Amino acid sequence: MSGPDPGPAGIAVLGSGGIARAHVAALSRVPGVRVTHVLGSDPARAAEVAALAPGCRPATSLDDVLADPGTHGVYVCGRTEDHPGRTLAAVAAGKHVVVEKPPARDVADFDAMVRAAKSAGVRLMVGQTVRFQPAVATLEAASRSGRVGDPRLLHLNWYVGHVWPGAWRSWQLDPRQSGGHLVHNGMHPLDLAIWLLRARPVRVFTRGWCTHAPDMPTPDSFHLTVRFADGGLAMIEVSYGLRDPGDVLRRMVLCGTEGTLGHHTSDDAAPSDGGPPVPLASVGDAVQRQAEHAAAVVSGRAEPLIELRHSRWALAAAIAAQRSLDTGRPVDVPDGPDGGGVGDE
Amino acid sequence: MSEPGPLRTVLVSAVRHAAGYAELLSAHPGYALAGVAESDDAGADAWSDARALAAARSVPLWRLDDLSPDRADVAVICSEPTRHAVLAERMLGLGLHVLVDKPLATDVPSARSVVQAARAAGRHCAVVTRALAPPVRRLRAWVDAGRLGLPRSVDAEFLSSGTHFAASVERPELLTDPRLSGGGEMMNVLGYPVDDIRAITGCEPVDVFAEAGTLFWDEHRSYGVEDVAVVSARFTHGLAVSIVVGRVPVAPGPGPGTYTLRVIGSHGHAEVDAGAPAVHLYSAAGAEPIPIDRPPVAAVLDDLQASIRTGRRPSYDCADAAIAVATIDAAYRSLASGAPVPVDTGPGTEPVANVSPRSREDGPS
Repeated sequence: MSGPDPGPAGIAVLGSGGIARAHVAALSRVPGVRVTHVLGSDPARAAEVAALAPGCRPATSLDDVLADPGTHGVYVCGRTEDHPGRTLAAVAAGKHVVVEKPPARDVADFDAMVRAAKSAGVRLMVGQTVRFQPAVATLEAASRSGRVGDPRLLHLNWYVGHVWPGAWRSWQLDPRQSGGHLVHNGMHPLDLAIWLLRARPVRVFTRGWCTHAPDMPTPDSFHLTVRFADGGLAMIEVSYGLRDPGDVLRRMVLCGTEGTLGHHTSDDAAPSDGGPPVPLASVGDAVQRQAEHAAAVVSGRAEPLIELRHSRWALAAAIAAQRSLDTGRPVDVPDGPDGGGVGDE
Repeated sequence: MSEPGPLRTVLVSAVRHAAGYAELLSAHPGYALAGVAESDDAGADAWSDARALAAARSVPLWRLDDLSPDRADVAVICSEPTRHAVLAERMLGLGLHVLVDKPLATDVPSARSVVQAARAAGRHCAVVTRALAPPVRRLRAWVDAGRLGLPRSVDAEFLSSGTHFAASVERPELLTDPRLSGGGEMMNVLGYPVDDIRAITGCEPVDVFAEAGTLFWDEHRSYGVEDVAVVSARFTHGLAVSIVVGRVPVAPGPGPGTYTLRVIGSHGHAEVDAGAPAVHLYSAAGAEPIPIDRPPVAAVLDDLQASIRTGRRPSYDCADAAIAVATIDAAYRSLASGAPVPVDTGPGTEPVANVSPRSREDGPS
């Protein structure tokens, strides 16, 4: 992107599911962004999601979307198994890419995505929406400014109600499609832990359990211990097992050498009128903030907030955590063949 | 029929927490501090501590050989942790009821030996725990009432504040020198959440995986013991347990430490802060919570007194504490092996207490 007036940043959203819908709505509100296409296999659903953004067109052909010179970047949503292929195609077409987490089901695919992006001279960022949540961003900024010294220990509890649509048809329940819960959702807390502790995970141990239905093909809840390269430690507990679908309990405690930072969603105010849960201020408008950042990245006005090496570490740790869940043993997180440099910027 | 008098109580050793116990005993109508005792083979520091406390409380200072049921009904063991078990056994052998500071022992065989000694002597042996404290009892009551359905997971965080290290620990090496402490912060406090999770859920520890580090304190580093640990455990019925324990520079709350528990059940969840509810005092010095509940040890003293008076087994006794010791032992074995290890609860340490009943026995005769 160059020149004095590059015009609106054209961004296409590859996917028409719930997450894609949220991104389309958010991007449509960003000044200077035009959502060009919504890609979906179901034309009616793609049209419905595209209608959220003025001028946006539904599409069923990826080639058609990528051939549009007015599309400068793409949001890769949808099934994890489709992420690498769609990313590589977009990169080959010269588009910047924001890919939903997890970016791939294995690190080799992610490395190929990174290499391709670098070779093509386009930006690639994994969409870790959590980093854009106000409480998370505030906590990280306070840590980064040195308020607690060197962060060494993280304890994270993150509980929500059941959120996967489709009941037993949900692809999120199928480890073959999702990579497993640790890969699918474990990347969120692992990326957060990496960001807060500023180190690479080297060993993980996972336990998973099913809260409501014992025959779930992947546990709805898990905890994992994480050891980092500098000796730092984390205990991460994630549960989709709260009774009420809209309920959230998240607690973060980050202990440093000179102090501790903490946040609990119980701090959020909410009415007690018996109505549905209201959005939490501490979680806030993270999707919108990410959309604004993505627009800035696509238009060349900002460097990606999420470093590719962090995404690589998080993906490798998530895959190791899934293996730990499957085997019942701690698993070392492999470093890259070049010392992790594939993801470095 | 006259009311029985207060239980004559001797503090055996005054190395660890003894001043606090003396204060609590003096405030409790069911107990009367009768004296302080120390063993002949104790070091000069231990004798100095005992002498100072006896003088401060204006009570006699005794040798252990001087003790008998004629002089005391209850012995409270306040030594360094590595002497807990041997002193407890000796007092039980003399015919006294015993209250031991935690941990009951620093190794599994010693813990089991105390249990056997208590059963053989027909005397009560209680151990300090938080499982009887009001916040934990309230959480248990919700579980018992079925409000959460069947517990599926428990998360606990017990963090001590290093800013209070000097004030809350008589000498740092009591927590860091394995010859005195038996280990690091896992040995010191992991038993608390283990006790409470058993009490709340009725589930028993099955296997443990632990990661630990010395992330903050030179005192721990100099003795090669951990100041922080993250522990993953499986309890019976598939209960998933995650525990964070340690001594950090500043715990996430006011005072010398913080302790919180989170339970997710099949039909609901609950979170408890062991320091809440509290009234908050705001002053120029900052904010200070004033808990509405009595200290956890007061509940232990209540329970032991009732047990001695009625003959029933304490709600948490040495058999329960032996389970905590076995879990701590498993955590250390996991650290050594780098793998999850089974908790060796052994055939002879069936917990009989009301904390997590598998079976019931009659109290001592």
